[in-house]
Amino acid sequence: MVLTARRTEPVTLLQRERALRPDLGLILAYLALSGLGLVMIYSASAPRLLAEGRSPTEAVRRQLLFVLIGIGAFIIASLVEHRALRRLTPLAYFISLATLIAVLVINDGSVKRWINIGRYQFQPSEMAKIAVILALAAILARSLDKTLRWQEMAQAVILVLVPAALIFRQPDLGTMLVFAFVAVVMVFSAGTTWRQFAFMGIAAVIASVSLFQVGAIKEYQISRITAFLDPSADLADTGYNLAQSKIAIGSGGLFGRGLFQGQQTNLSFVPEQSTDFIFTAIGEQLGFIGATVVIGLFAVITWRLLVAAANGRDRFSQLVAIGVAAMLVFHAFVNIGMTVRLTPVTGLPLPFLSAGGTAYVAMSVAIGLGHSVWMRRSPVPVDADL
Amino acid sequence: MKSPWRLGAVGFLFLTMFGILTLQLWRVQVVPAEGVDYAAEALRNQIDWVYTPAPRGQIVDNAGRQLAGTRPALAAVVDGSLVPESAVEELVSLLAAFTGLPADEVEEIVSDARDRGDRREILADLPSEKVVYLAEHREEFVGVSVIPVPQRTYPYSNLASGVLGYIGRPDRVDIEEGAKPTDIVGKAGLEAQYDSELQGTEGQIKFRVDALGSVLEVMGEEFPEPGNTLILELDIELQGVLENALREGLDLARTEYNEDGCEPGSEDDGNEDKGCPVRAVGLVLNVNDGGVLAMGSVPNFDPSIFVAGLDQASFDALPEGALINFAVTGQYAPASTFKALTYVMAMEEGIAPEGADSVEDEILCAGRLARAELGDGSQQVFQNWTRQDDGFQDIHDALMRSCNTYFWEVTWALWDQYKGTEQESLLQDWARDVGFGEKTSIDLPTERKGLVPDRELFETWAADRDPRLDPSRLEFASPWFGGDLFQAAVGQGSMLSTPVQLATAYATVVNGGTVWQPRLVDEIRTEDGELVTENPPTVLNVVENLSASTVRALRNDLSRVVNDPRGTAHSAFVDFGDNLDQVGGKTGTAEIIKRREDADGNVTQEAVNTALFVGVAPIDDPEWVVVVIIERGGSGGGVAAPTAKPILQYLLDQPVTAVSLGEEAD
Repeated sequence: MVLTARRTEPVTLLQRERALRPDLGLILAYLALSGLGLVMIYSASAPRLLAEGRSPTEAVRRQLLFVLIGIGAFIIASLVEHRALRRLTPLAYFISLATLIAVLVINDGSVKRWINIGRYQFQPSEMAKIAVILALAAILARSLDKTLRWQEMAQAVILVLVPAALIFRQPDLGTMLVFAFVAVVMVFSAGTTWRQFAFMGIAAVIASVSLFQVGAIKEYQISRITAFLDPSADLADTGYNLAQSKIAIGSGGLFGRGLFQGQQTNLSFVPEQSTDFIFTAIGEQLGFIGATVVIGLFAVITWRLLVAAANGRDRFSQLVAIGVAAMLVFHAFVNIGMTVRLTPVTGLPLPFLSAGGTAYVAMSVAIGLGHSVWMRRSPVPVDADL
Repeated sequence: MKSPWRLGAVGFLFLTMFGILTLQLWRVQVVPAEGVDYAAEALRNQIDWVYTPAPRGQIVDNAGRQLAGTRPALAAVVDGSLVPESAVEELVSLLAAFTGLPADEVEEIVSDARDRGDRREILADLPSEKVVYLAEHREEFVGVSVIPVPQRTYPYSNLASGVLGYIGRPDRVDIEEGAKPTDIVGKAGLEAQYDSELQGTEGQIKFRVDALGSVLEVMGEEFPEPGNTLILELDIELQGVLENALREGLDLARTEYNEDGCEPGSEDDGNEDKGCPVRAVGLVLNVNDGGVLAMGSVPNFDPSIFVAGLDQASFDALPEGALINFAVTGQYAPASTFKALTYVMAMEEGIAPEGADSVEDEILCAGRLARAELGDGSQQVFQNWTRQDDGFQDIHDALMRSCNTYFWEVTWALWDQYKGTEQESLLQDWARDVGFGEKTSIDLPTERKGLVPDRELFETWAADRDPRLDPSRLEFASPWFGGDLFQAAVGQGSMLSTPVQLATAYATVVNGGTVWQPRLVDEIRTEDGELVTENPPTVLNVVENLSASTVRALRNDLSRVVNDPRGTAHSAFVDFGDNLDQVGGKTGTAEIIKRREDADGNVTQEAVNTALFVGVAPIDDPEWVVVVIIERGGSGGGVAAPTAKPILQYLLDQPVTAVSLGEEAD
């Protein structure tokens, strides 16, 4: 025992030291994407700002502030201890619900997504994504079996449906889809039976059909989807975004037109180019090579998050890492897919690259939480070390 | 992890999603579909250009007075590439209210502009309050801008309108030749003839636009180059005198026909007054270089009515033929004015009238002449305009008195001597030599070539069953009769001449035999005055066998037409003033038999006289030929010569006096 104790002490210290060592791959990929985001935002916004007689660096300076806040948030989130986080989860979830209600109450336009705070806008749905991941992880972690019980299934579905309903009122189809994707991935990872899975699928289909039936889905949401199916039919309006964006990316070719040489993106043929359509600027200016590098960076982060999940100290941590990974992948897939006409226009930002404060900070917090799972991963088996 | 395979499955799903994205990017960026050139499409996207119309070149008279010019004006245009589908409906209703045009018309303009992605004019020549209104409501009028579109001006309104012509939108043919539907092109007169000179080069503004059509940067502007200036031989002051005289003469002829005047009406709508004088045509030609100093026909029009576009009602209100320059397009029997040619031919070819040894011998100018050998063998009777014998005359008296019989006897001698030989058409050869029967190539469109009839022509007509030939002629071996030559010798029958041909022919016989090509434009200069093209006098032909003595004799006899108390134009010039001895001329009265068949098949024949006068001054050393024709106006001596009088007064620096009818005389 003494021997064991004596031998255990230094190993544990060593492990602790190792456990706190940050994941360099994830951090570098995160910083690389953030830096590229700043460059592309400058490239995409400067000509327009100049044309309007404003400072060309206006947009990029604003984003830099968000990036600095986001990195701070990433560091804090990386250091959060999971038991404390789990205790805070109900609070975070209900605060999120409160802000989602608040955004509906405060705004009176047809689109209610933001709360204005001074010069900045806060988008509660971005934070709600994290709250939902935490809440789902907390619920699903209760199961001690390999498979999920129907009770937990039901709780998980309700947990997602409440904020989803509030976001539906904003309305924000993209975020609802994020919830759905994240929930499916997390529930699956937590151990659904195939029967539960099938039940969820059928329920989802019935729900969407009835939403269409009662006309709760807005016309523009339908038209976005029909435009996605045939953008050339309606070049001037919805499909225009898609057609222009595809032209921009297509004109990039293998190597791109060169940084700051984007004719399409610099002249705002591609709308919302520094936010939702930032990837078109990358595709046009940096070509297939640059676009692939960006996708590769996302893949690196995703990979590191899944590795973290595999090494998670507890079930809650594992599920948080998986949820964060699912959220990141879904954002990247839908956003990039939209610019090359693979997915409909939903208004989801491209993580770390799109201009926008709340989304950047929220995504930083999210991967920070995933990172903290890695930092506090299970010690490697003592035997192996010996 | 309790179920590592589940994490593996999730990882595989994520990997697949990234893989799909990469694959799609490869498809879009590296191997785009056949025929899709995203790079070219991207370029097209962002560069837009608009054309800025060039100011049309000026037309000035020989003293630099502006006859056609441009003034700066603003027009509202809609740029089709800047109007999204969603904005069309509202824009159309706004524009309809703004312009007062019917909505469907506005919609057509807007949709055409959108189809072509180009500018279309909505309202030309905006008054300043409309410009202000548009500027204040810029946001609402999507795609509408105000641009400078110079407007054509015609400071002298109706004056010289037949020569200047008018402008308008291009027709199908113009567009096939490269005109844009939005262009302005010359449609008639000099505007059409010299359209390519007057057009100038339109400017082009090339700029980069963003997706909303906002101009980000002007990439380059080529300024429009104004069209070149046409400097005419025409003298607008003389033109004023000419048109005044023509108008007075026409009014007088109409009053003569009917005390309260008359309206000729139109053959088409059935209310034609066949006796009412239709129009007066005239021109003044420089004898020694072919320069046209004045030219026109009345009634005419104000070319400025075409600048803003002409509606149907205003178009219908124009008098019949007002848009046509009859000085080049009208074809008339030259009648007795042609006798000058027969005179020259007889003198030069030495063909004395029947019953005389020389043209200097006198024969009786009989009231009528009957010959059986001139046609189908039956007796043909020819009457002199005097109906009675007009005394014994030599060729000089015959010209002065316009004796038909004398020239018929000359023609008889010619026919008798040369019938069926090459010399049979000596008269026609002379006529062609001085410019009849062929276009003079004056620099105006729609010139016609007149007609000089001869055996060859009639035989062609017979072969072609041409309706111009009396079908009964087909029975004969040759459809050309001596009677036809008789008619030709006094400018009747099938003989036709345009006024400008007649002037050219007279200029030739009085200047010693040089056929100058009539021309309106003297030179073409750039807007800055740099010479582009000179249009120097051009000799079409030189009549070698015209002797100086004949020319002298002719001048003298033309002078006697006016100055001798027995001359056919003498009464018309009694109040001429000084220098009358410097005026020469020849009258003519073309007898047109109007054959009419009414519904019951009754044929009525009605003789209508067209009055002609050709004046020459100064007769000792001729500088000008003046032609006046009053269609259905009466006799040459009674109406045409008095109408020419003020023009000749002006040319010879005499006070211009009003037109008053002369004594009726051929």
